[in-house]
Amino acid sequence: MKTLLSGASCAVLVAALASTAVLASPDAAQAGEFDGVTIEAKLIGGQQYEALYARIPEWEEATGASVEVISKKNHFELDKEFKSDIAAGTTDWCVGSNHSSFASQYPTLYTDLTGLIGQDVVDEFVQANIKAATFDGRLVMLPRAQFDVSALYYQKDLYDDPEKAKAFEAEYGYALAVPETWEQVKDQSVFFADPPNFYGTQYAGKDEAIVGRFYEMVVAEGGDLFNDDFSPAFNSDAGKRALQWFVDLYQADAVPAGTTNYLWDDLGNGFASGTIALNLDWPGWAGFFNDPSSSKVAGNVGVAPAPKGSAGVRTGWSGFHGFSVTEDCEHKEAAASLVDFLTNEDSQKLESSAGPLPSRTAVWDHVSEQAKGDAYRSEVLAAFKETAATAFAVPPTPYWIEATNLIYPELQAAILGDKTVDEALSDASEAVDDLMQEEGVY
Amino acid sequence: MKRLKLPQWLVLLMPAIIILSAVVLIPLLLSLYSSFTSYRLTRPDSLFNWVGLFNYEKAVTDVKFWAAFGRTVLLLAVALNLEMLFGLGLALMISKVTRGQRALRTMMMFPMMFSPILVGFQFKFIFNDNVGLVNNALQSLGITDTAIPWLVDGNLAMFSIIFAEVWTSTSVFGILILAGLYAIPRDPLEAAKVDGCTPFQSFRFVTLPFLMPFIYIAMAIRSLDVARAYDIVQIMTNGGPARRTELLWTLIGRTGYVDARMGYANAMGYVSIFLAIFFTIYFFKKLTAARKELGMGV
Repeated sequence: MKTLLSGASCAVLVAALASTAVLASPDAAQAGEFDGVTIEAKLIGGQQYEALYARIPEWEEATGASVEVISKKNHFELDKEFKSDIAAGTTDWCVGSNHSSFASQYPTLYTDLTGLIGQDVVDEFVQANIKAATFDGRLVMLPRAQFDVSALYYQKDLYDDPEKAKAFEAEYGYALAVPETWEQVKDQSVFFADPPNFYGTQYAGKDEAIVGRFYEMVVAEGGDLFNDDFSPAFNSDAGKRALQWFVDLYQADAVPAGTTNYLWDDLGNGFASGTIALNLDWPGWAGFFNDPSSSKVAGNVGVAPAPKGSAGVRTGWSGFHGFSVTEDCEHKEAAASLVDFLTNEDSQKLESSAGPLPSRTAVWDHVSEQAKGDAYRSEVLAAFKETAATAFAVPPTPYWIEATNLIYPELQAAILGDKTVDEALSDASEAVDDLMQEEGVY
Repeated sequence: MKRLKLPQWLVLLMPAIIILSAVVLIPLLLSLYSSFTSYRLTRPDSLFNWVGLFNYEKAVTDVKFWAAFGRTVLLLAVALNLEMLFGLGLALMISKVTRGQRALRTMMMFPMMFSPILVGFQFKFIFNDNVGLVNNALQSLGITDTAIPWLVDGNLAMFSIIFAEVWTSTSVFGILILAGLYAIPRDPLEAAKVDGCTPFQSFRFVTLPFLMPFIYIAMAIRSLDVARAYDIVQIMTNGGPARRTELLWTLIGRTGYVDARMGYANAMGYVSIFLAIFFTIYFFKKLTAARKELGMGV
């Protein structure tokens, strides 16, 4: 009954938000403006993204245009499809889901939205996100309310046990409290670990995911992944300290043995299974972790801002989803209107009501206001807001994904003990340097 | 004006020539051409950027490429031999069954009915170090109290992949060898019995030579399959961790579709094709020799 009621109230809320969107949005297209136009779209698929797509008929009704979704996949699959489209020259569809980590790879695919979207609209977004959506002065996407940065989820009761606190302090010489630095995360992870039943922490161990984690750790250690000319900069003291952190945890059995094969779903399900003490993860998991039907740690989840590295800088690798309009689209104005609609204030309020973080300043305030009275939601928002304040996007190079494919096997080799940290970083740096030179970057 | 008249045989062959050209020949020539360019999927104009043998030089001097090549040959050698042995065993046992043989034959083919992607997911779960069936069973039975990293350890990860390959394809050998068993004439076997041969001698010197052509046909088919192994490995380990299970096609697939370097990926592909050609010629030579031995002609 409770589910039914909450479902019903959600429906009412959605309907209310939807109606205000059409009536009140200052950017709403004029009625019948795009009569007879069909916009083909390639969108990211998945349960968490569907609520927004349910609004599309409202835009169709308001403008007279229709939307045909011709592809719905996750971003990795969409990425391959976009590349094939570019190769085949079949890029006359109009609207595509985009992501800040992938966007720089498609320099010819998407059009500059600057002339199509009013500056007043662009100004309403978090400007750091707009900056990360701009390549060579071209605004290639508008961010939706799917801003991602990671904060630290933890099991609260681990910090309520006086015996544990006493034992920890005796061993490490400082009081057991929710960690504020990555060094403390390491100490506590080793302390809490009891393999194979319980682990201190875990990390994404392959593909772009581990390079992203390494990247933010290098920054937190005071270094950087690339120099200004995109030559590799991670084979540095900061880089070595960052990689050593991953290696130490693996070799101390403080993380699951299979962590080098884990990606986001494995990590989320792992923490929800109750076998992980501390888990750096994305905001989209907040509801899942605290839902008794999906998580064994529901009611016992705490969320803290991402810890800091030895340079006093928080980790904060961030990314966001967005929508772009293709250069070859026949009806760019209509497509831009759809993108505007899908990222407007009401759309963002709808999406962020389910947990994801917004990318519009006003919606951040709205979400904080809505969370009042819900202690867990407030804690989640406070932690992510604090982390988002110093978040940073991936380096804006079209070779980001390719560079990560060269770096991650070397990081894994160090973690698994096939290479030393020095060897691994030196090999990775050499490979990335070769790539950049081959591509004429410098 | 005289109309051009094509010979009748050419007219009759024309549909086949056109279709084969469209779906095989032209893509092959295009991919061969692109292997001499710096073609990137995301930059279509790079298709005209001729780089000569650069991609081939890069591939043949790349240690990672040869390591993947070596691992593919290893997988091929181990998986093929195991599948042959298990398939032979299965076929021999099924051929002895007098009741329910049809049902058994159908059951034997079940693994072949699953998509390789599903097989990959199935074994990824079975061999998961934390929630996987194998580790949970071993821990529950008290055999180990550690989480064995099946998909992480270099040897165990290759073992897990070979296990999945063998599980899914042993029945290819089983079915073909069973067909061979049905085709064996009874006379030589009965003659061997009369001459006092032991069952092992009958198998070794009569049954097996008759089966060899079938075994080599299965080997040739499966060697092409395994040489282009991709789906199961992609799902289970994606060639990792630390390239410990990187095979030719996981490397080529990533280079072509994720890194978008299609020119280089095609060059690696053409070098790899030699592996497939080598094994195909080898097994066909063996097949011819086996048929000759049986007096079946060439």
